[in-house]
Order: sequence, then structure tokens, then C-alpha cells
Amino acid sequence: MPGLELVASGLVGGLLLGGMLALIALGLSIALGVMRLVNLAHGELLVGGAYLGYFLTQATGIDPFAGLGVVAVAMAVIALPLHRLLVAPLAGQGMEAPMMTMFGVSIVLQNLYLLAFRADTRAIDTPYAGRPLQWGPITVPLTYLIGFVVSVVAVAAVHLLVSRTAFGRDLRAASADPVAAATLGVDVGRVHALTFSLGAACAAMGGVLVGTAFSFTPNTGATWLLVSFAVVVLGGIGNVFGTLVAGLTLGVLQSAGALVLGDGYRDLVGLVLFLLALAFRPQGIVAATAR
Amino acid sequence: MNPSSAFRAVAVAVFAALAAPVAQAQAADSIVIGASLPLSGPLAGFGAYQKWGYETAVNEVNRAGGLAVGGKKYTIKLVLRDDKTDPNVVASNTETLISRDGALAMLGSCTPALVNAGALVAERRKVPLVAGCDPLGAFKSVRKWQYAWAIFFEEGDLGSAPFRMMADYGLQTNKKIAVFHDNGPDGQVVGGQIWPAEAKKGGYTITTASSFPVDTQQFGAMIGQAKGAGAEIVLADAIPPQAITMRKQMAAAGYTPKLLVMEKGAEPEQFAQALGKLANGVLVGGYWDPSFPYPGAAELGKRFEAEAKQTQSQHIADSFTAAQVLFDAIAAAGALDREKINAAIGKTDKSYVVGPVKFDAEHASRIPITMVQWQGGKAVVVWPKERANGKLVFPLPAGN
Repeated sequence: MPGLELVASGLVGGLLLGGMLALIALGLSIALGVMRLVNLAHGELLVGGAYLGYFLTQATGIDPFAGLGVVAVAMAVIALPLHRLLVAPLAGQGMEAPMMTMFGVSIVLQNLYLLAFRADTRAIDTPYAGRPLQWGPITVPLTYLIGFVVSVVAVAAVHLLVSRTAFGRDLRAASADPVAAATLGVDVGRVHALTFSLGAACAAMGGVLVGTAFSFTPNTGATWLLVSFAVVVLGGIGNVFGTLVAGLTLGVLQSAGALVLGDGYRDLVGLVLFLLALAFRPQGIVAATAR
Repeated sequence: MNPSSAFRAVAVAVFAALAAPVAQAQAADSIVIGASLPLSGPLAGFGAYQKWGYETAVNEVNRAGGLAVGGKKYTIKLVLRDDKTDPNVVASNTETLISRDGALAMLGSCTPALVNAGALVAERRKVPLVAGCDPLGAFKSVRKWQYAWAIFFEEGDLGSAPFRMMADYGLQTNKKIAVFHDNGPDGQVVGGQIWPAEAKKGGYTITTASSFPVDTQQFGAMIGQAKGAGAEIVLADAIPPQAITMRKQMAAAGYTPKLLVMEKGAEPEQFAQALGKLANGVLVGGYWDPSFPYPGAAELGKRFEAEAKQTQSQHIADSFTAAQVLFDAIAAAGALDREKINAAIGKTDKSYVVGPVKFDAEHASRIPITMVQWQGGKAVVVWPKERANGKLVFPLPAGN
């Protein structure tokens, strides 16, 4: 039976990791909720953010978390023409065509990264990368705490954006009923483009977290896409606050599963939860707040 | 003349024009050597070194005028295919290289899952295949080979090396070991069988033995358990992405054992590059260094560093040697006949860059193991004493 130190550290670490999972999954949730877009290139946008963060830190020496805003804006800017060229023309044609397009984008991006950056495993090095944070019997990686704080702030910011601003109101209207919204003067096309950018920016920020706390290669996106799907379904599609709760829940439950069964079973725990949620509560574990 | 005979004349002319280039190609006198390599995917680090080793051996022969076989000179054409670190792709690549690209003989990929997958196809097609980068136990356990040959180390030597080193240097620890290994074929052999057996022989206790899927990203639970059990020795076997993440997570959990061995993963330069100071003191089994007293060793290391602008890796040596062994055998066979070439490989008995090569009855040629330690971004040979070119750093520095 594992000792108190191990269990406590494991669960707290899981909670912090869960916060990061929420940010990692947020972009996917937004795209799915507002645009009904199953963004299968979400993992590659995340890895793209990791590369951006990596090279930014290498070139300027600034802390990756300090440069998070730059990475987010850069990815948002890159995502706009991507949406214009590949997703916008397929608007109103159902969910399958854009989904398959994004699948194609995913493959193209993986190979672009391979060509441009080689297949080496990279990690964003920070002075505190390997530093532990000790608090009584609990030891957690310092990076996890910083990542958690950054994630919660980012998720809160997006939540405020969606619930309190004019753009957010347009976004919610376009997501609830695009036709009605259009008749009321909402530029649904523009809302979708900006939503896609926002989703990409969130994925990129998640990528910086992944790059700092773990490591990444051109192919790492697929792992995070799977986890993101689990979080999105658990939290309720398009539900920003739900994504946070689901991320935290998943993080804790995965860590609990790892303590009992071993680290290799984390993914199993996450995906079993995913299946259970789909089977018994497909609308998500968190009641939808004002959408 | 009438239309049909005009047509016939034109047809003949067209066919003659098309046939000429084909005849040209045959007269160019080249030998095709095929290789499937992990140029992408998690093992791309190894694949890059092998590519250099194979290409350099080929270029050396071609620059000297070609390979002399039975009184004629042939240019060697190396055809590489990326197997994306996927054994299924290795198998289909090998098939394609043999049937479509016309490979006379093959050179191997890297790590047992990939090399053995290719060797099985080559074996079935009766095509000689020479491989480095395939631990001999894993190679020999597949089947009794007729056409596949491997030049590498024995897992038993690798598994016992840390223990022999600790004994030789009289390193003081509490003799408690934590074993972390992936569940790939060599992870299970080294981590699941050899290390526990060696530990028992040397009077060590294994406090935790954890295995995980090859692509795991989180090691928190097993690191916590090892830390809680107070293990001062950690033996890990995982590929580079996982080894990097594991080392970071160990430091972040405040767990610094006195001795940390990370087989496979800590070998390529990208390990040290990704971890910076955290790589210092990490040990990994090695089998070659430019400082070894073998023909051309120092020059090969310098050449690689000058051309590739990276620190040398031992993988340039076994791949360069595998290619040279194959070319020497083709020349010795005196004909472009696969059976003769295969027999000639079996008769190899010479010192190459990686060391002396001589195959036993099971088609394996053994390279002895050394222990290498990362120190300030450089891979320093620290054991055995007669091969060491630096001092062992013990205990492991915290790095943070």
C-alpha cells in the first residue's frame, strides 16, 4: 500500500496536471462547440505552439511562460488564413468534410515539422524545469504549479471573453443557432474565423506547457488529441468552465489510477472514463452554464 | 510508302529510342544496396546516425572508383526508405527494396523490433542482410538465420555492465535498486530479466520494478514509489523521448539517486541537448568511442563532427562497419550472386572501425560493452578502466 507522501503527492500532482489538461483541451472544445468543427489537427496546432515557444525561448532567452502571449497571438495569426482557405469554404456542408480536411492538415503539419525541425525530441529548457516544490509531505514539480496557474488564468480569461464581451455574445449566438444569429446581424463567418483562431491560440499555449513540463516531437500531437477528446466530452462540448472541471477530474483520476495500477495505465483510465461518459452522460458531467 | 508500313516504321523507331536508355542503365554497372531506416518517429535520432554511416561507407567505395567484383568495377547505389519507426513499414520497405528497387543485398534498420522485421522478409527472399543496432540476444531469439547477420553487443553484457562497474570502482550505495523499463522487446529482456538476475547475484535488492508502454508520458507514480523506497540506484530502459521526460520528472519530484543508468534513451546527443545540466552524470552502456584502438576510429569521429556539425555517436561505427563488411563480402564473393555473398559474409574475420568482426554459428558478431557518462554535454567513457578517457562522476549531481 503506497505511503501518505506518495498518495498525497500523486493526487496533488494530478490536480495540477489536470489544470494543464484543461488548457490543452480548451481549443478543441471551443471549435467543436461553436463551429461544430472536429479539429483533428488540434494536436499539431499544440505541437506548433511548442515549437514556437521553443524557438522564442532560444532566440530571446525569455521565460516560455512570459512569452506565452506572443506564442498565442502568433498562432492565432497563422490560423486565420488556414481557416479562410480550408475550413470556411466548407461551411454549411456538414461536419464530415471539415473534419477530414483537418485530418489532412494534421498529416501535412506533422511532415512539415519533420522537414523543418527534424525528428529530434525537444524540450523547452527553463532554470526551474527539474525543480521540485515541497510542501509538507507533498512534492510536486514546480513546473506543474506554474502550468496550473497559467492554465486557470487562461481558461478564466476565455470564459470571461465568451460570457461578458460583445464578441462572446456573438459567439454564443452563432453557436446556438447560426441562421437566427445571421438574421440578427451577427457575422457568423467572422465569428467562426475568430473562434478558430482562438482555439488555435489556446492549443498553442497548451503546447508551450507540454514543451516545458514534458517533451515533444513532430508526432506528439496525437497523444494530446486523444486526451483532449476525453476532457471535452467529460466537460460538455463548448462548455469552458466544464472543460476546467473535467480536466481537473481527469488529472486526479488518472493519477489515482497510476498509483493503483502503474503509470502505464493512465491512458487506460482516461479513455475508460471517456467511454463511460459517452455511454451514460454524453452531455458532460458539468451542467451547461449560460451558453 | 503506304500508311501501315509508315506506321510500322515509326513504331520501330519509337521502340528503338525507348530501348536505348534501358540498355544505357544496364551498362552503368551499379549495385543496389537497400536499407530501411527510422528517419522519422521516436527513433529518428538513431536513424540519422545510421544514414550517415551507410552513406559514408558507400561514398568512400565509390570515390575510390567503385567496388571491384570479379574483375569489374561497380558503383554502389544506396537506396534508403524511411520506416517511420514502424516494424510493419520496415517489412513492406524491405519487400519493396528487394522486388522493386532491385537490391542485391540489404543493410539493417535499428533496434530489434525494426531490424528483425526486415530480416524476416530478407530471409524469406534469400537476400543477405547485415545489421548493426540489434542486441544479439533479441536477434538470435527470432530464428536460426541463414541470410541475416548482426554485429552488436549481447544484452547480458549490457545488463551486467553497471554491476561490474560498481564492483570495479567499489561504489558505496545502500544496494537498493529501482528498475524502470519499457515493455518493448529489449526493455523486457534487460529490465525484466537481466537486471533482476544480476542484482540477485551481486546481493542487491530491487525495491520497485515498473514497466510501462513505450510511449508513456507520465512517470510520477513509479518515481514516487522508488523515492519512497529509498532506492539509491535507478536502472532505466526507455527510448529518448521517454528517458528525457523521466529524468526531468525525477528531478522535479526531488528524487536524485546516487547512480542513474538510462539504457537506450540516454545514448543520442539529443538527450543531453534536451536536458542541459540534468543530463550530467547519467550513465548509458556504450560500445564504441573514437578513442578506441581500432582502424579508422578517431578519423571517423572527426569526419562525422566536421560533416554533420554534431557530436559523434557510436551508431556511426556499427553502421559504417556493417556496410563495409557487406561490401568486402561482395568483393570477396567475386560475383553478384546472393548465395556466394552470403557465404563470404560468414567468412568475415577482420578488424573494422567498431572492432574485430567474426560471426559465430548463430550469425552474431559480439562487440564488448563500456559504460559512458554524460559530462557537460560530452559522452565520456568511464568504464572499463583500460578504455576510460575520463573520470567517473559519482554520485549523480542534482542538476537543479
